[in-house]
Amino acid sequence: MADTITFSQEISNLMYAAHGSPLNNCIQCGTCSGTCPAVEFMDQTPRRLIGMINADLKEDVLDANTSWVCASCYHCTVRCPAKIDIAGAMYAVKRYSIWNKTYSDDLVGPVFSETFMKTIVRSGRSYEPILAPTYIFGFGAKEFFQEVQGATKMMLKGRIPVLPSKIKRLKNFQSMIKHIIPMGEEE
Amino acid sequence: MDPRKRILIIDDDPDYVDGMKAILEKADYEVEAAYNPKDGFKALESKPYDLLLLDIMMGRGAEGVMVARKINKDPELRKIPVLIITGIREQMAFLFPGQPVHPRFLPTDELLEKPVDPNLLLEKVSALLKMAEEKEA
Amino acid sequence: MKKYAYFPGCSLEKMALSYHKSSLETTKALGVELEELDDWNCCGATTYFHLDEILANTLVARNLAIAEKEGLDFVAPCSACYKNAYFTNTYMKEDEDLAEHINFALEADDLQLEGNMTVHHLIDIFANEIGADGIKEKVSVPLEGLRIAPYYGCQIVRPRKNGEEVEAPEFFEEILTALGAEAVDYTNKTRCCGGSLLLTNRKAALDMIRILLYDAVQSGTDVIATACPLCQVNLEAYQTQVNEEFGTDFSVPVLYFTQLVGLALGIAPKKLGIGMELVSTLPVLSQFIAKEAR
Repeated sequence: MADTITFSQEISNLMYAAHGSPLNNCIQCGTCSGTCPAVEFMDQTPRRLIGMINADLKEDVLDANTSWVCASCYHCTVRCPAKIDIAGAMYAVKRYSIWNKTYSDDLVGPVFSETFMKTIVRSGRSYEPILAPTYIFGFGAKEFFQEVQGATKMMLKGRIPVLPSKIKRLKNFQSMIKHIIPMGEEE
Repeated sequence: MDPRKRILIIDDDPDYVDGMKAILEKADYEVEAAYNPKDGFKALESKPYDLLLLDIMMGRGAEGVMVARKINKDPELRKIPVLIITGIREQMAFLFPGQPVHPRFLPTDELLEKPVDPNLLLEKVSALLKMAEEKEA
Repeated sequence: MKKYAYFPGCSLEKMALSYHKSSLETTKALGVELEELDDWNCCGATTYFHLDEILANTLVARNLAIAEKEGLDFVAPCSACYKNAYFTNTYMKEDEDLAEHINFALEADDLQLEGNMTVHHLIDIFANEIGADGIKEKVSVPLEGLRIAPYYGCQIVRPRKNGEEVEAPEFFEEILTALGAEAVDYTNKTRCCGGSLLLTNRKAALDMIRILLYDAVQSGTDVIATACPLCQVNLEAYQTQVNEEFGTDFSVPVLYFTQLVGLALGIAPKKLGIGMELVSTLPVLSQFIAKEAR
């Protein structure tokens, strides 16, 4: 048994196919970065990020916004010649940063995810208006106005729900969640 | 005198593992570590351990619960005492703010929350080992 | 008549109501029955997986188990729902421990999942179960002269599920041609629309939308067809913001493929939710809609 593990192994351990597509198979070809539709908005390209993970540059990896800019479109995953699930690795980095609270405060992604999950645990369904405050206050005045304008148009067309919907067997649903995440008051 | 007691840690956080290992080795336990549930289970099946220290949030999610349940179903492995050491309340605080970890769906002998006080850890470890020995006898 | 368990997903309750309506109308007309799942829950979209993949799989498994109880195969009109359902179903079959654990949780709702059913995206029912020929037979108002850009987006074809064509799929084009329309050939038909980045990284998302709109319009598109509520909202509802941000003047209608199928089958536009869009479709569609129905 190994004495300790590298950051690359830590990330691999978070991936579903932990032993299927190890990140260190990466040949640094750059197909992922060339494919990525959001690459321009990333601090580090996917290729560089994987290189940095493999070089154990933990802090730099967690400082980069890359995983949070990933839109999970899996274009890199299907093209990777080394068969690495790169979008999966981005999820793993996100999970790492949420579990260890290492993400920076100006990112909307983590708060959005957490609020989304909370809504679903509470009602069984998602509800757009509850989610809005997680991102809309991060916007500048112009974007804020645009968003409200857009929402108003949608509302006029009857496309925004007024009330959140709830599933019928909510109690069973919430108990099901407790079987997986053993938290909460005793029933 | 008994041979040294052998402890297995299954935890994905290498820093935490290092810390616990140092505390336990100093108290003369033999300590091994696995950093994901798959390797951890393989280790459990490969040789006998006297105690398991188990994390909850690992891999895809709360996999520690899966491991604990699987051990509990195995007639041999279930004899090993399990001490859960978890930071789940911190990690999932946004979902269940202020709420406790409840053991209803989590077969385990004891539970400690991170950060763990070294003395408390040693106390629990030795109590669990003693309990297991008494059960055996 | 083949019957499926239909999982509309949260978006179709309201934001994409027209997709919901047109899906039910067109499948009925083509001899397929969609039975809405009883008491379905949110599948977690794309956001659960950061936090806890096992919980995400459990939420999806509940919906699958409700379908299995009915003895029906599973169909989802939203690409993200479909991707989640497909992979949960696969993992449940591949990973014994995961299946055991999730079934333990499902007991809380008196459910169990064997994973014996198949999981489909709605467009797969049109492309393969009904087939282009099956659609063509029922077309009464051919959409002649209408240039439609098939927008696949990402999660229908990616990640690869069953050895299918991921680089240059053609099944969407085949459906559109069966309607008598012309399928526009453009480069970015499987490029991502930005998905939920619109909320978390607006700058990136607006740019991604701009590139898609530009490509489609440049290639002579009258209307873009989508098969996912998130794609539809991103491409349509955010055109104004793209225009403000980049000084462009896009005004291209974006419809669900089921709405276009419905028109060609002669179904009344109102029943298909036509009229709920933000970019008017009247200029391009009026010739296919009877005067009294406009």
